[in-house]
Amino acid sequence: MKGSLTNLSTRHPWIVIAVAVAITLFFASQFPKIKIDTDPENMLPEDSPARLFDLATKSDFNLYDFIAVGVVTERDAFNPDLLNRIYRITSEIAEIDGVMVEDLLAPSTVDDIKQGDAGALVIEPLMQSEISSQDEADYIFSRIQANPILRGKLASDDRKAIALFVPIESKTMSHRIAKEISALTERLGGPEEYHIAGLPVAENSFGAEMFSQMAYSAPAAFAIIFLLLLLFFRKIVVILAPMVVAIMSVVWSMGLLIMLGFTVHIMSSMIPIFLIPIAVLNSIHIISEFHDRYKKYKHKETTIRHSIGELFVPMLFTSATTVAGFASLMTTPIPPVQVFGAFVAFGVLIAWFLSLTLNPAIGILVPDRTLRNFGRADDAHGPMSTFLHKVRDFAANHSKAIIVASAAVVVVSAFGLLKLQVNDNPVKWFKESHPIRRADMVMNKHLAGTYMNYLVLDGSDADALKSPAVVRYMEVLQRDLEKDPIVGATTGLPDIVKKVRFELFGADSSKLAIPDSQDEIAQLLFLFEMSGGDPDDLFKFVTQEYDKANLWVQLRDGDNLAVSRVVKRAEDYLAHNPLPEGVTAQWAGLPYINIEWQKQMVSGMRSSFLGSYLVVFLMMVILFRSIRWGIISMLPLTITVTAIYGFIGYIGRPYDMPVAVLSALTLGLSIDFAIHFIERLRMIVAREGNFLRAYHEVFEGAGRAIIRNILVISIGFVPMLFSNLVPYVTVGLFFLSIMIVSGVVTLVLLPAVAVAMQKQLFRKLPSPAPSDARAETR
Amino acid sequence: MKTVTFALAIAILSQVAGNRLASAQDAVEIMSKSHLAYYYAGNDGMSEVNMKIVDKKGSERVREFAMLRLDTEDGGDQKYYTYFRKPSDVSRIAFMVHKNSTGNDQRWIYVPSVDLVKPIAADDKNSSFVGSDFTYEDVSGRHWNEDSHTLVREDAVDAKPVFVIESTPKKAYKGFAKRISFIDKSTFLPIREEYYDDKGELGRVLRAEKIDVIDGITTVTVRSMENVKKGSKTTVSFTSIKYNIGLKPDLFAERYLKNPPRDYIKQ
Repeated sequence: MKGSLTNLSTRHPWIVIAVAVAITLFFASQFPKIKIDTDPENMLPEDSPARLFDLATKSDFNLYDFIAVGVVTERDAFNPDLLNRIYRITSEIAEIDGVMVEDLLAPSTVDDIKQGDAGALVIEPLMQSEISSQDEADYIFSRIQANPILRGKLASDDRKAIALFVPIESKTMSHRIAKEISALTERLGGPEEYHIAGLPVAENSFGAEMFSQMAYSAPAAFAIIFLLLLLFFRKIVVILAPMVVAIMSVVWSMGLLIMLGFTVHIMSSMIPIFLIPIAVLNSIHIISEFHDRYKKYKHKETTIRHSIGELFVPMLFTSATTVAGFASLMTTPIPPVQVFGAFVAFGVLIAWFLSLTLNPAIGILVPDRTLRNFGRADDAHGPMSTFLHKVRDFAANHSKAIIVASAAVVVVSAFGLLKLQVNDNPVKWFKESHPIRRADMVMNKHLAGTYMNYLVLDGSDADALKSPAVVRYMEVLQRDLEKDPIVGATTGLPDIVKKVRFELFGADSSKLAIPDSQDEIAQLLFLFEMSGGDPDDLFKFVTQEYDKANLWVQLRDGDNLAVSRVVKRAEDYLAHNPLPEGVTAQWAGLPYINIEWQKQMVSGMRSSFLGSYLVVFLMMVILFRSIRWGIISMLPLTITVTAIYGFIGYIGRPYDMPVAVLSALTLGLSIDFAIHFIERLRMIVAREGNFLRAYHEVFEGAGRAIIRNILVISIGFVPMLFSNLVPYVTVGLFFLSIMIVSGVVTLVLLPAVAVAMQKQLFRKLPSPAPSDARAETR
Repeated sequence: MKTVTFALAIAILSQVAGNRLASAQDAVEIMSKSHLAYYYAGNDGMSEVNMKIVDKKGSERVREFAMLRLDTEDGGDQKYYTYFRKPSDVSRIAFMVHKNSTGNDQRWIYVPSVDLVKPIAADDKNSSFVGSDFTYEDVSGRHWNEDSHTLVREDAVDAKPVFVIESTPKKAYKGFAKRISFIDKSTFLPIREEYYDDKGELGRVLRAEKIDVIDGITTVTVRSMENVKKGSKTTVSFTSIKYNIGLKPDLFAERYLKNPPRDYIKQ
């Protein structure tokens, strides 16, 4: 196969190129059909129970996702000027397309329940019109403080912050609406600070910024890789081929993805960033080989055939293992991760195929005279060679110490693995300096929280939620949940019942309790509707049939770990205090959905990783036809994974979505160097019949290519480290650390093991003793 | 030539202005007649009311109550008494409104479970009536003097000839920015009303679903209010309607909230 493919390419280069270009153009023509989807909710399949329940809850209680707007000032926020500004801003926000005006929560829109003239019950907006005196401002603050439904949510107790909650028709509008609100506060605001927070904004804005980030990161990585290759090989014509291979594999896989109707999700937007380096890896080996051999043969076609002949098997296996790593993602229960895995795997296959066909086809067309000075000019004397020789000798001379040290690294890392903390929060996908992140910190410090979860109690029968036992149960549950510091506030039916009762009895605080009779509860709620209370406000907390109630649990922290703790707290409470007969409880809300898909992801990634680890091991055993070599070849991969994830555990960096998905990349990439190194070491040993000579030669060929790869990939991803978006920084760091750790292990530990176990590994050879190897390399 | 054109223009303009003036006068007259026919039928009246509130998801709430009305003066003050029967957990709640045509209304509610009469604020006539799509004002009427009216055209609704009147509040009002009423030419009852907000968007639609003649008075016995924006609809059916039964003003006193007048309201 390798022969015929290469022959075809070297004999009919123009046909190969023409076909490749035609296919590329076809896939590129699919790009305009791109459908973008940045909703992390889609990490769960549409029909997953958690999503269906969330959807049903939103419909049952007429709930919308909301944007939280925080107004923060160092001095007193309750002064006529500022309140009037907020009043005007609120009325302008109400005009924005997509804002659910009826449900807007702001001082000028929320209802206050209070005592009017002659002991009358009054329900009217807290701030009916613009005000002119400090007394009015103080009165508004005192009314907020006196209302448990508003206190802490609408204004901070220290009077320094006021919040507006802007419900929106659809989450996908939040980035646009947030921008329009920013423009408004810019125009109408004063010296106070305005912050815009909430999960929908974070999630939607991440999507928007992600694409601009991609538009910068992918070309930047590409350009740097190009420059580094140019630095190594000095001939543009030579490095043109790998760059073309990289671009084509990206275009083919993205084109196919779009053509098949898949949406480009947060995950799939990263496909180019993953494919470019993987595609370049193979080509670097080919050019390295070509570069190093051209001096010897001085004939293009022969050099090409020899290079590919030597590299065919290792390239086949490095590609196959990478494909295995990414294809394993298809076994996770998370649709966007499946799509991502499938299309990276496809792209890697394409890159492999093009490396074997397009690469030689382009290579053969390069005129011989342009290659006149091409070849290992730096031969045995350049800085890279000096470095390689040092590494080579070091590994041979200290093989035992290296093996012991590596074992120690694994043990230490394993303890780090135990410390790994699974956690995620879409808001933290932005760096701390990002406005969304700052808004999150400031608002959650001052107010009851920007993350909203809902705990739905289902009583099955109509009117079940009017039962004093159920309402009282909810009330006590609320008090229990509020004991967790991140629970900023809970709001529910009990609060409304109590507040109406309190005001009905002329603000008598002894009446601030749930009554004993069901009729009284029903009549209090009826009174609320009779006295001007908006029935829609009531039906955010209970259904019209009174068969379900909705407890709003407002959180100051959206970390999955924190949200899970609150969910666990509720579970424990429910376990120790059984719900009244016939009532069940179930969570909804975006933070809850996030912990649900994270659970799926963690277990899914674990089995997918273990599965592909096993597959890669079997591949290695087959490739080397030796269990012993199979185990040795897994060393760089194993050490890289434990070291990187152990390190993450030690520094307390959370194991989040990007970190989880990157285990596939780690698996796919860090085995590659080992394959090249071992395969070629064995090939040369077989050819030369001498371990020592082979040991030297493998450093000259594979070793040099590995160093080039490490430099190209790790430097190529440096621009990503400066991204505003944390997942991109993470991806960049992973490429860097995978290259460095697996490269170092391959170039230091593998030679050390080979030297130390020379006898066992190369039994058939009449090779000199290890001590001789040591002596000669000196 | 110029003078002729000028004279013609003057003639046309004065003609148009005259028409407008005439139509404004007609419109006010039509609306006042309509108001009296719709809200002040007879000197007093009573009926059993069934109110069905259906939200956009199709879930339904039913309220049943008896209602008494006494007009102090046609087009002026009125007294309303409402006694709730269903849902059963709110039965015996009684509710009274003294409509004040020149100032704020007065409202009281009796809460039987705690045996308490509580005055409730009545500043906001635009708030929902018992959680339905009707507002307090829809129930007791908005005086025609508060709006300016124009006769837009004459038309027909369900084969009935109607006046089409456009009304705009004289003072800015959050209830509506424009209302189009379709008034039956023979009975002066509103067959249909459309309420538009300040963006010119249709907010609510009132429909006279069924019209009967009771005690010689043409009465809308089924009416509905659809909230177009919210997708909800409330349908109110009146049964056992009686007019001119001789209700006394003292029936509409606080003490009758706790003990409904048995002569008129069977428990």
